[in-house]
Amino acid sequence: MQALLSFDKAPPFAAPLRFFLTAPLFAMAASLVLVIIGPEMLASRWSPALLAATHLVTVGFMMQVMLGALIQILPVVAGANLVRPLTVARWLHAGLSVGAVLLAAGFLAGRPGWLGIAAVILALAIGGFLVAATRALVGVPSTSPTIRGLKLALAGLGVAVTLGCVIALALAHGWALPLVALTDLHAGWALGGWAGVLLAAMAYVVVPMFQLTPGYPARPSWAFPIILVGLLLAWSLAVAIGAEILAQAAQLAAAIAGIAFSALTMRLQSQRRRARPDATYRNWQFGAACAIVGLAMWSTATVFPVFGNLPGWTLSFGVLLIAGGFVSFISGMLYKIVPFLAWLHLQNLGEGAVVAPPMNRILADVEMSRQVRAHVAAVGALFAACWQPEWLARPAGALGAVASAWLFFNLARAFARYRRHAAGVPVPVSTP
Amino acid sequence: MSHAKTPHVVDARFMEPPEPFVRTMEMLDTLKPDERMLLLLFREPHPLYKVLRQNGYTYESELRPDGTFEILIGR
Repeated sequence: MQALLSFDKAPPFAAPLRFFLTAPLFAMAASLVLVIIGPEMLASRWSPALLAATHLVTVGFMMQVMLGALIQILPVVAGANLVRPLTVARWLHAGLSVGAVLLAAGFLAGRPGWLGIAAVILALAIGGFLVAATRALVGVPSTSPTIRGLKLALAGLGVAVTLGCVIALALAHGWALPLVALTDLHAGWALGGWAGVLLAAMAYVVVPMFQLTPGYPARPSWAFPIILVGLLLAWSLAVAIGAEILAQAAQLAAAIAGIAFSALTMRLQSQRRRARPDATYRNWQFGAACAIVGLAMWSTATVFPVFGNLPGWTLSFGVLLIAGGFVSFISGMLYKIVPFLAWLHLQNLGEGAVVAPPMNRILADVEMSRQVRAHVAAVGALFAACWQPEWLARPAGALGAVASAWLFFNLARAFARYRRHAAGVPVPVSTP
Repeated sequence: MSHAKTPHVVDARFMEPPEPFVRTMEMLDTLKPDERMLLLLFREPHPLYKVLRQNGYTYESELRPDGTFEILIGR
């Protein structure tokens, strides 16, 4: 029966790989925007170059990897199979890439019309994915916190994209809307309701599986996604009815929930059975630490607005949450997913007759760990640049570009080794 | 290792893939037709579920408070 380890219905390697190889290029582009524009980009959270760079990271990097990984991982974590995954991957990848470039270009060039076009492209691409994912998940019971979290995250993505489209179209057509409040909500749903809930749902599976930690306790695992989405709904309601105190309370509670999840993850990691820390462990430890500090800074600004008015405060917690938190978590996942998929596909290619090389020969830990150090240095420099933009903006951008290019190089190297091995795998002789 | 539900247990909670799958398959091969086995994991193994269904096995999973999925497998 062991031959049945073949994951015959797994999407082809090309389906997720195109996302994983493109994503670091977008992170590199965001860093290069900082190198080119320099200190003025960090003057305010509303600086067009900063909005461009933020979306290059959130749509171009984060969403590329998260949706690309979901195409691959839905059958594994939820038993849900997308219909025609390669077709979905092609359209989604094209839509996300073109949408992210147009969005960034629209901000940089001051062309609101481009933002509107980008919004339509992204809405079609992501909407198409949401339809395909919903069809796959219909009828799948929520037997685990991961499946329920996945469903809630997809709903959160729908809200975040809808809000983003409304804002982009309002800018394009000059609609009179409360754009500051809507932008905060868009960020809350995108980072909390979508990325945060999805991260938790995946963490329940991948942290124990890849880092050999104890499992996430059941009760908080069921509760965290519901609490976060409930708080985002409360925040949205508060904006709709103009209840400022309710909005602040919901933001504060959401930040505390995020801190609790990050602290729990760090505690589980401290109890891991794997003796040596690897690149994924380091990425997740660093990500959780950054998330805790970033969320604590956000909470502080919510309770004491005087802190939020300090130059650098809002930007630096944004850097900690996005570059320090999400980019680290996602890079850590990539460093497990890409070698694992390469191994899996080589194993299936050999059909049991030829053993695939071990994962550390597809991408060695030392190669990944050096890149992690560059990433940590880049996040440190970006954080400092928020407070000292004149001196540090361009060096921080350059460091970020190096770390992103290195991530791309490592993933491309893993793919090149996969192809070399695949080319050398003899075709198994079929027996009658 | 034994358990109240069955003496045939694979505790795969701190094993890396594909070891839980391989160990489960090995134990299933040793079971008599009326025997059942228990797999302990910190996740639901959907690819394994599919293989079990294809081979005529049934399974029930239960999530314990510590995050362990207890998966009881039989014919």
